[in-house]
Amino acid sequence: MTLSALSYNPQTAKSFIDEVIERSHQNLYACYQCRRCASGCTVGEETGITPDYLIRLVTLGDRDAAVDNALVWQCVSCYTCGTRCPNNIQSGRITETLKKMSREEDVIPLNPNIAYFHDAFVQGCTRWGRVNEMEFMGYYELKNIGKHMLSFQFRKAYEEIASQIKLGRSMFKQKRLHLKLHTSRGRKEVKQFYKIAVKKKASLKKERRSQIKNRQE
Amino acid sequence: MHEVTMEVAYYPGCSLHQSSQFYDLQTKRIFSELGTKIVEINDWSCCGATSAGKFDDFLAVALPSRNLGIAENAGFTEMLIPCSGCYSSHLMAKTRLRSNETLRSDINAELAFPVKNTIKLLTILELLLEAAKQGKFESKITRQLKGLKPASYYGCMTRFAYDVPVSDNVENPQGMEKILDMLGAETMDWSYKTACCGASAAINDSETAMNLMGKIMKNAVHSGFNCIVTTCPMCQLNLDAYQNTYCNKFGIYERLPVYFITELIGVAMGIPLEELNAHRHFIDTLGLVKELNLI
Repeated sequence: MTLSALSYNPQTAKSFIDEVIERSHQNLYACYQCRRCASGCTVGEETGITPDYLIRLVTLGDRDAAVDNALVWQCVSCYTCGTRCPNNIQSGRITETLKKMSREEDVIPLNPNIAYFHDAFVQGCTRWGRVNEMEFMGYYELKNIGKHMLSFQFRKAYEEIASQIKLGRSMFKQKRLHLKLHTSRGRKEVKQFYKIAVKKKASLKKERRSQIKNRQE
Repeated sequence: MHEVTMEVAYYPGCSLHQSSQFYDLQTKRIFSELGTKIVEINDWSCCGATSAGKFDDFLAVALPSRNLGIAENAGFTEMLIPCSGCYSSHLMAKTRLRSNETLRSDINAELAFPVKNTIKLLTILELLLEAAKQGKFESKITRQLKGLKPASYYGCMTRFAYDVPVSDNVENPQGMEKILDMLGAETMDWSYKTACCGASAAINDSETAMNLMGKIMKNAVHSGFNCIVTTCPMCQLNLDAYQNTYCNKFGIYERLPVYFITELIGVAMGIPLEELNAHRHFIDTLGLVKELNLI
């Protein structure tokens, strides 16, 4: 996972860091590893890896480790790192960029639920123009429980269903669950945005695949 | 400063139309009492929250842009966004649009109401403080919140800095304290006011979310607060619905009601909490105010 100093290649490192800079709009070169982001990182304790490590991985050009680690997916986007950074680097944007890159690389996330959740949210809100909590949670759970079933982890699937039913029931009791479908009349525009995004993602993925292929040859 | 008759656009967001419907009701009620006119914008759509940014950059800017365009074309110069998640994503979109003209024209190509990016966004605290500055509260407040020790919990989303100047201090915001002091509550300093509650992880990575909320709760209890106040519907739902779970996990005996700021203003104005639907919380909210003889 980690890269030794001897295998550091300035050329590949530069192309990777530039790609991250361009897509995240954050100047990673400005990082001088003061680790203020690390002390503020909300999930640092859970993940064991903090934004400063992530930036170091990117600057070293260790693409595989940078797109496939706990922080990339477990980052809760609280942007504390960005408010604390003396050089105004929003590391939250870097994790978001690396998430997208890891999808392009076809890396299976360490915690796939997180990816399912955000996908379900985006699909839900672009389908109707507004998010319907019931609908998008349904989609998410189908995917999540389906994954457990396919890998024969029935106990996990059962626990998931039980915990969601418990939450759902208490929310229903408090009248905080609503079955009415919320839509926006202008959802065509939103759908169009989604189409553009999906198209762009597909072309990026294709580009990345041909890059990998070229490198192997 | 606003004129008294000036209208402010209002973007409720998905959560205020669903799981936190009563926050929508409360916001409308409190501002109508204060005489600030808020008008819900026509046919708004979801802002994509933090999920859109994790899916695609273009989408993350395009989704909020549609709402900005609608509000601007209706002639509004300011828009109130009570949900911190929505506020943060709209603010991010505004920043991106300002620095990238091509992105703006790409987005406008698809929109019925093109975005000019001139509207100013307001959090609920900013609008409340503005009303306070104009003295709109004075005639409305009928009782002081004596004995209430609220932990002002801002959450992580409103102090979102990027390169946009936010109205309050990003590390130690004071807006909520100013309002609560005015209402006679005993505010105190504490260190977790801008900590993240992990709302986006509550469903998909509950272990992490419970740890984050446990830390916030522990600190609130240790500091001697008797309730938590927030402005963000996601923080409220999260800290409230899972309170038994994370408190049990961390061995915390106390349970603190998690109020919206609008509910406490309602109590101070003498509006019955039932009218504000404040009983729709998971942790009982009425007991504490009754105990303190506030209602």
